[in-house]
Amino acid sequence: MALNQSAETEQRLIEQAQNGDRSAYGELVRRHYSGVVNVVYRLCGDAHLAEDMAQETFLRAWVHLPTFQPQSSLRNWLYRIAVNASLDVLRREHEAPVEDEKMQWLRDQAPGPEAALIQKEQALLIQQAINALPEAARSVLVLREYGELSYQEIAAVLDIPIGTVMSRLNYARNRLREVLQAQILQPEYDYA
Amino acid sequence: MHDNIRNLLNAYLDGELHGTRLLEVKMHLASCETCREELKTLRQVLNLLHDTPTPAFLPVERFVANLTLNLPRRTLADRPPKPGSPVWWLVPAVLMAAWFFAKTVFTLTSVVTAANTAGLLENVSWLNSEQQWLWISMAQTVFGIETETHPLLSTLNEVSVFGINWFNGFLWQAAIVLLYWGWLTVWWIRRRPRPLPVTLHR
Repeated sequence: MALNQSAETEQRLIEQAQNGDRSAYGELVRRHYSGVVNVVYRLCGDAHLAEDMAQETFLRAWVHLPTFQPQSSLRNWLYRIAVNASLDVLRREHEAPVEDEKMQWLRDQAPGPEAALIQKEQALLIQQAINALPEAARSVLVLREYGELSYQEIAAVLDIPIGTVMSRLNYARNRLREVLQAQILQPEYDYA
Repeated sequence: MHDNIRNLLNAYLDGELHGTRLLEVKMHLASCETCREELKTLRQVLNLLHDTPTPAFLPVERFVANLTLNLPRRTLADRPPKPGSPVWWLVPAVLMAAWFFAKTVFTLTSVVTAANTAGLLENVSWLNSEQQWLWISMAQTVFGIETETHPLLSTLNEVSVFGINWFNGFLWQAAIVLLYWGWLTVWWIRRRPRPLPVTLHR
């Protein structure tokens, strides 16, 4: 029931924003900022760049909003713009998602308890492993793990067959496993 | 077998398998230690990915404030015309009217031609078409004979007139149908969500 109300509200906000209502668009941005910036960050690996890319995403979305069909998923549409915008920038920057110095936020944290330090190191390694993936596999992995999209939705966002989604996801996860197994994964590390 | 199942383990973990494939994987996992280990490792990788902390991004209110300042103005031209607007429906209405007009004209022409051929309009000389006169003149010039006395030329004349009339009618209707399809295509393209003008990287 609450979900339906939320969807109806979003529909109304979209229609208002399509008619030029900036405050309605601001409300839509509030709803989707967290998801978009997270996906973009995982694609590019840099927090400041992710914020810029999120802004670029929402600017592009504003310009093209009149052509958006309110029956479709706004979140998926935004992710599509976000992936394209991020990969455009990364390509301009010669396919270098993250320079080491751009991940300073992980290193500059004040040293805390040992567990927190280990977690930060792990976060650094994981982000580097994601960055090392080819962009096609990285996009699928990020949309699945951080965008929380289904295979069907990923296929629609990236405009690829669902079989390709599965094979790219297999490839990405296997690569991550190979990279992380030696450095992080231990038999006792299992939260499941 | 292992390879087939291994390729499905990610989909199994994500809850994307259904029916017989799901059953197949479950049954295999129940009997295969190697694949169970593989699944466990994959689960660990996913846990690591989900547990990875994210940096503190710009607070949403500040982000919205910055964004709002940078939003470009939209012009009316940016808005696609609504499919239900009268202008959109006027186009097929005019085309349909043109089609009805053409159809009526050609039907009446056929009726008059048939009546003329049957001799019902013998005294109405202005109903004879130019094509008929052309055939008659040509026949007289080439063969030096009267067409009325030559049954073959008379038949050819009628076939020709019928063919030209039919072809003209067909051409008109085909043109109208093409225009109507063109309008439908334009309407459909504008109605569908347009892909963004950015390249999709694969």
